Amino acid sequence: MERVISMANITTDEKIAIINRYHANPEQALNILIDLQFTSSDGYIDQATAQLVAAHLGVTETRIYEMVSFYAILKEAPQARYVMKICNSAPCHFSGEQIVSHELEEILDIQEGQMTHDGLFMYHSIPCVGACAQAPFIKIKDRVFANLTADDVAQLISDLRAGRYPEL
Amino acid sequence: MITREQPVLTARFDALKADPTNVAAFCELAGYDALKKAVTMEKTAILDELDTALLRGRGGAAYPAGKKWRSLYQSAGDTKYIVCNADEGEPGTFKDKALLMSDPLAVIEGMTIAGYLFGARQGYIYMRGEYRSLHRQFAQALAHARQANFLGENILGIAGFNYDIRIISGAGAYVCGESSALLNSIEGKTGRPRVKPPHLAEVGLYLKPTLVNNVESFADISVIVREGGAAFLNLGTKDGGGTKLICLTGHVKNRGLYEVNLGTPLYDLIYSDQYGGGSSTGRPLKFIHFGGQSGPIGAVAQLKDCIYSYDGLWDYDLSIGSGALVVLDDSVSIVDYLTSVSQFFTHESCGKCTPCRIGTLRIQELLEKFQQKIAVPGDLEVLKSMMTHVTQLSACGLGRSVTTSMESGLKLFPDEFAAAINQQTAEQREVMW
Repeated sequence: MERVISMANITTDEKIAIINRYHANPEQALNILIDLQFTSSDGYIDQATAQLVAAHLGVTETRIYEMVSFYAILKEAPQARYVMKICNSAPCHFSGEQIVSHELEEILDIQEGQMTHDGLFMYHSIPCVGACAQAPFIKIKDRVFANLTADDVAQLISDLRAGRYPEL
Repeated sequence: MITREQPVLTARFDALKADPTNVAAFCELAGYDALKKAVTMEKTAILDELDTALLRGRGGAAYPAGKKWRSLYQSAGDTKYIVCNADEGEPGTFKDKALLMSDPLAVIEGMTIAGYLFGARQGYIYMRGEYRSLHRQFAQALAHARQANFLGENILGIAGFNYDIRIISGAGAYVCGESSALLNSIEGKTGRPRVKPPHLAEVGLYLKPTLVNNVESFADISVIVREGGAAFLNLGTKDGGGTKLICLTGHVKNRGLYEVNLGTPLYDLIYSDQYGGGSSTGRPLKFIHFGGQSGPIGAVAQLKDCIYSYDGLWDYDLSIGSGALVVLDDSVSIVDYLTSVSQFFTHESCGKCTPCRIGTLRIQELLEKFQQKIAVPGDLEVLKSMMTHVTQLSACGLGRSVTTSMESGLKLFPDEFAAAINQQTAEQREVMW
C-alpha cells in the first residue's frame, strides 16, 4: 500500500526502495539518508522517515537522529525549493564571498538558515565545498555558479524565480 | 624512466575527458600496468619500492606510506581492510576532487594493488558528501573495472584474488577526515575519532587491521609500482618523492590546481605565469596559509629562498599538508584571518573531548575581542595559554592542529595583535584552570 507521509513527494514504498538499493546495510546509512533527503522535495529527514530507516537497518531511532544532527548535510527541518550554499571558510571569505552573502540578505531579506516566505530560497554557509578557486560562488545542488559579482547574484535570483533552472 | 618534467598524476586528465571511467582508454595510457606488474612481484619487493619512493601521505600528515604499509603487512590476521580517505575537507583544497573527477581509475588501481598486497577482500572509499556528483561517476568507474575483471572474483585471472570496493558517503563533517573518525563513520556510527593507540594497522575497521590512505596517495601507488621507487623519488627530493597536487587560492591571478615537482621554488609557484602569476589585486602578497586550516602560515617576504618540498618547508617551520596554498595580500589583517580560522574549528570540533569542544570556542571569543579591538592587557597571555591547552590536551589530530596557524600568525605579526589591545583598560587576570 502506498501512503504519503510528510516528506511530501515520496511514498513509503519509494523510501523502502531507496533503503534496499543499499541492501539495508547500516554501513550505508549516510548514503540512504542523503538519498532520501534529496529525493524529497522538502530536503530533510522527517521523523517518520527516520523511524522507517531505523527499522529497516535494525538500529535505533536515536542512532539515526544522532547521525542527522551530527552530519551537517543532513537536515531535521524542511528546506527551501532552492538551497544556496556559500562558503564561509578563510580562502573564500577573503576572496569576496561576503559580496554574495550580503547580496542574498539584501535581495531576499533573510538571514543565513532562514527561508523566504514563499518557500523558494534559503542559504547556508558551508565550510568548504571544494570550489575555492571559483569564489565568490553559490552552489545549488551540484551546480556551482562561479566568480559572482553582486549583479550576478541578483540575476541568478531572478532567473531562479523565473524557473530558468528547473533541474536545480 | 619518467623525467621530472612529466606530470604523472594529471597525465591522463585531458585524454580521458570524454569518459574518465573508460577502462580501455585508461589501459591505453598505462592504466593497470602497475597492477599487472604488482601481481608478478614479491610482496615484500613492492614494500621495498614504496620505501625507496619515500611517498609521504598526501592527506596532510606526511607519514611515509612505506612504513604504514609495512606495519599493516606485518599485522596478524586474515581479514584486512583497505580504505581510501576521500573526505577532502580542508578549506582551500580540491585536489582529490580533481583526481576523482578526471582519473578515478588511477585511484581504484592503487586501492586494488593494496588489496592484492594485503590479501584484502573489501576496500572502501569514503567520499565527502559535498562531492555527491562524483559518487555516481566513481560508481560507474567501479562497474567498468568489474566488467573488465579488474575488480571482483579472480582478478586478472588469478585464482583467489577477490577484491571489490564500496563507496561510503560522508555527510559534511570535517572531523571524518581523521582516519579513526572516518572508520567509525563507515561503521554507521557518528564520526568521532577514537583514542589511539591502538593503531589502525592493528585495530581498525570493525576492529580489523586497516589501511587508510588519501586519494592522491593511492594514485601515487600506481606510479611507484609502474615506474619504480627510485624514479618516483627522483620526481621529488630526498625527503619526499613524487609530484604534489597543489591548490592555489586567494589573491593570486591564476587560482587553481597544479601538479608540481616537490623541490620547486615556492616563489615560482606564487609568482611565475606558469603557476600563480603573482597578486591578482595589485597589492603586495602578505602571507600564505599552507596545507589547509590546520596548517601553518608563512610570511611571503621571508620565503624568498624557500623550496616547496617537505624538507624545504620544514626549514621554515611550515608544512605541505594537503597541498593547499591560500595566498593573501596585505589588505588582510592576520587577526581577521585567524578569527575566521578559529570560527571554522569551533564549528567543526566534534565535541568528544572537552579541550577542543570548549577551547575552540574560547579561542574564537578571544580572537573576536582582538578583531573588534576591545582586547585588554592580559588577553594575549590568556589566548596563548588557551592555545597551549587545546594543543596539548585534545585527543585527536584535529584538536591538536587547531592552533598551528595561530602559533605562526602570532609569531610573524605580533604588532597586529598588540595594536588591538586597549592599553587604557585594567589588566585581565583570569585563572583558567
